[in-house]
Amino acid sequence: MDMDDALQTFMAEGHELLEDMENALLSIESDPDNEDTINAIFRAAHTIKGSAGLFGLNYLVTFTHVVESVLDRVRAREVAISTDLVALLLSSCDHLTDLMDWVARGEDDVSDSLARKSLGIEENLKVFLDTPVAGAGEQVSADSSAAEDGHSADVDADEPPVAEPALTEKDLWHISLRFGPDVLRHGMDPVSFIRYLATLGTIHHIETLLDAIPDAGNMDPETCYTGFEISLHSTQSKEAIEGVFEFVSEESQIHILAPDCLQEEYIRLIKALPEEDMKLGEILVRCGTLTHRELESALQQQQSSGNSLQPIGEMLVEKNVVNSEVVNAAVRKQKTVKEARPPEASLIRVDADKLDNLINLVGELIIAGAGTNILALRSGQSDLIESTETLSRLVEEVRDSALNLRMVQIGSTFNRFQRVVRDVSQELGKDIRLTINGGDTELDKTVVEKIADPLTHLVRNSMDHGIEAEEVRLAAGKPAHGSLMLNAYHDAGSIVIEVSDDGGGIHKDRILSKAIEKGLISENSAAAMTDKDIFNLVFEPGFSTADQVSNLSGRGVGMDVVRRNIESLRGTVEMDSQDGQGTMARIRLPLTLAIIDGFLVGVNQSAYVIPLDMVVECVEYGAWKESDNSHCLNLRGEVLPYIRLSEYFETQNPGHSSERESVVVVRFGDSKVGLVVDRLMGEFQTVIKPLGKLFNGVGGISGFTILGSGDVVLILDIPSLINDAGTLLYQTDRQAMTA
Amino acid sequence: MAQAELKEAVTENDVTLSHQQYLTFMLGGETFAIGILAIKEIIEYGQLTEVPRMPDFIRGVINLRGAVVPVIDLKARFSNRLTEVARRTCIVIIEVQSGDDETQDIGILVDAVNEVLEIPQPDIEPPPSFGAAIESRFINGMGKVNDKFVIILDIAHILMIDEISQLAADHTESVSPLANNEGSDESSD
Repeated sequence: MDMDDALQTFMAEGHELLEDMENALLSIESDPDNEDTINAIFRAAHTIKGSAGLFGLNYLVTFTHVVESVLDRVRAREVAISTDLVALLLSSCDHLTDLMDWVARGEDDVSDSLARKSLGIEENLKVFLDTPVAGAGEQVSADSSAAEDGHSADVDADEPPVAEPALTEKDLWHISLRFGPDVLRHGMDPVSFIRYLATLGTIHHIETLLDAIPDAGNMDPETCYTGFEISLHSTQSKEAIEGVFEFVSEESQIHILAPDCLQEEYIRLIKALPEEDMKLGEILVRCGTLTHRELESALQQQQSSGNSLQPIGEMLVEKNVVNSEVVNAAVRKQKTVKEARPPEASLIRVDADKLDNLINLVGELIIAGAGTNILALRSGQSDLIESTETLSRLVEEVRDSALNLRMVQIGSTFNRFQRVVRDVSQELGKDIRLTINGGDTELDKTVVEKIADPLTHLVRNSMDHGIEAEEVRLAAGKPAHGSLMLNAYHDAGSIVIEVSDDGGGIHKDRILSKAIEKGLISENSAAAMTDKDIFNLVFEPGFSTADQVSNLSGRGVGMDVVRRNIESLRGTVEMDSQDGQGTMARIRLPLTLAIIDGFLVGVNQSAYVIPLDMVVECVEYGAWKESDNSHCLNLRGEVLPYIRLSEYFETQNPGHSSERESVVVVRFGDSKVGLVVDRLMGEFQTVIKPLGKLFNGVGGISGFTILGSGDVVLILDIPSLINDAGTLLYQTDRQAMTA
Repeated sequence: MAQAELKEAVTENDVTLSHQQYLTFMLGGETFAIGILAIKEIIEYGQLTEVPRMPDFIRGVINLRGAVVPVIDLKARFSNRLTEVARRTCIVIIEVQSGDDETQDIGILVDAVNEVLEIPQPDIEPPPSFGAAIESRFINGMGKVNDKFVIILDIAHILMIDEISQLAADHTESVSPLANNEGSDESSD
């Protein structure tokens, strides 16, 4: 079970790393000398390999190893960055993603096709490994890649000690290594230090200390947690041994004890070590205070005397094998080590369910708080009212920060399109550049996840149909390379995402003729359509204007799916286009899906909530009563279509006519509409309860909410009301014309 | 195909009929019964919010401790006459399957609840093929209690979410102010 959790974490982090790697690869093409980027790519591959090794995912390790080796050569400037190499590495990235997905399916080995693909890419990559290079770097790199062939995280601990008869016990150095947490980030591999160390003598024994590794959930694969205790047969000087660790000496704890050192030195070493929870005897053995032979004999005696409860430490003291002072130091160490825990990382991974649960609870809290407020007001006790007001302010803050937890920047989603644009433009043979704006705009995580597919579709569409071929562009006096822009910003309580291109634009006539041909509209209605209506015809099911069907788009499925996906997020999408100048698709999405500020209005006996973000103003209705049957108001010279909510919802109104009706002007996108209501009841926080299956078909309503009084009220679906108001207006016009 | 459906319906009936305990309640002067296993609770009729453009038998929604629960008027569903709210009017909250694994709570409006009683299997007659006040597909059987028959309702069938939401959608369509005049004929229901 724990392993599953760890695997989940590995998957999530692996995907993030691959994303980073991809982004870095895309940027390195234009900036091949940026060492930071090269290192970032290398580290990503390296980390994936290491973590995969931990889980025993050999197929991942083998494949990543080849990638890493190539990257290592790139890092060492032995292989130059080329378009081919980047393309190859990108396809390796994709393949890694496939392999990861395979891991997610929980099977032990990969399918034949994936394995074959691994081999294919490996072959291609190996070309870069074999190319000769200038300089002495070759030997080193070949060594390191050869050395790493068999390496996975746990191999190092049980390297067979090779006895060298020429060396005696007194040449046994003890080296205690604690690598600093940033060693891996700085591009250094602890293993290579140990391998280098082995060239100075013979590693008699090596103990890998994994105690510092936190549980997998908290583990950062880029952080180095390992330490080593090494006993080394060597005739080299202390300086030479120290020289091995020169590059990491600043950030790591390195203790080198000479073969003939005093016991006090060992005690000092035990005190300096950061480990905890280790068995005393093991500490001692690892410190090299004891040889294995001494420990073994101690163990044997323990077994033969049957006294298995006696700790090894004491046993050793009894046998006078170790000085009791050394043992005491180790005991003290075990007691105090807990106080020196490393500080927590600043990021926490939280289960999405837990967040949802929190937000649900906050929702309940708001409803309950509103109820308390009403009771307090009714009681008329001023101190009680005051305290509930403080409380509701706090609840509001809690709500905002709880909702904020779910907000993520859209930038990472946008950045994914760098790759899409690169691939597609190569496929199409067009030179297209992507510009991203407003990547730091935040929106709800669920929305971000669901918006990626529709966006991909729009982007591909723009590239395929929107941006013209190079000759056409030059002929039209535009730059040879096409531009695609992704833009995001906040507007009136919603987030707007724009996908625009500087292509040929949408040809109205072609759309109209196509729509008529496909029977989507009649010739008569075509004449009455505005430009916007015409552009938005592309979202109708079964519509496609591309003369040629490519494998990217043009099969007439898709744009309607795009619209459906966006509408399922309570958003809208519309097209805008300038002939010859370009096309823009504008997606408008609500910021959150759970809690909003609402404006409560009364119609007859019922109450409705309007999302406050969409309310522009409230005006008195009385002034315009004479123009009642035109379904239109004159708002400071502006034509404002309106809906009388009581008529719209057919609420029974037995002989009741409100004296003071009001018009609430609401806005969604570019359209405004007036809603005629009987009472304005002020704003309050609204927890959106979904309509549920039963009421999904109700027009004009987007959800329920519960007031502080416990009453259920309906939340108005402003976009659909605006839509209906337009149709109503159109119908009235027609009736007026036929009359 | 038809046979398979029939078979499925029969086994479903068997399962429902094997509940030995039933809640009896009054609806328009007649006594009905439903198996108690589906019933979550019975609450007093309280503040109910109407949902516009819904067919009459969907009375509206109530707030059940923070959850929004739709309420269905059984009498209106059977006979197109609305239940009049009186002192003993109750809402019986029933859990129904609304998808593969999902359940939804639905309230049904009844004139009064009577009691929970046991009706042994031999006392339950198959539903009459005609002559009953309500459609026979809504009836699971006729239970004999004190020499009188009570109609045992097939509540899972009556509250089939898909069917109700389809009815609701059809109704919405027909009453929408956007629909052309010929569509707004309400008696089509």
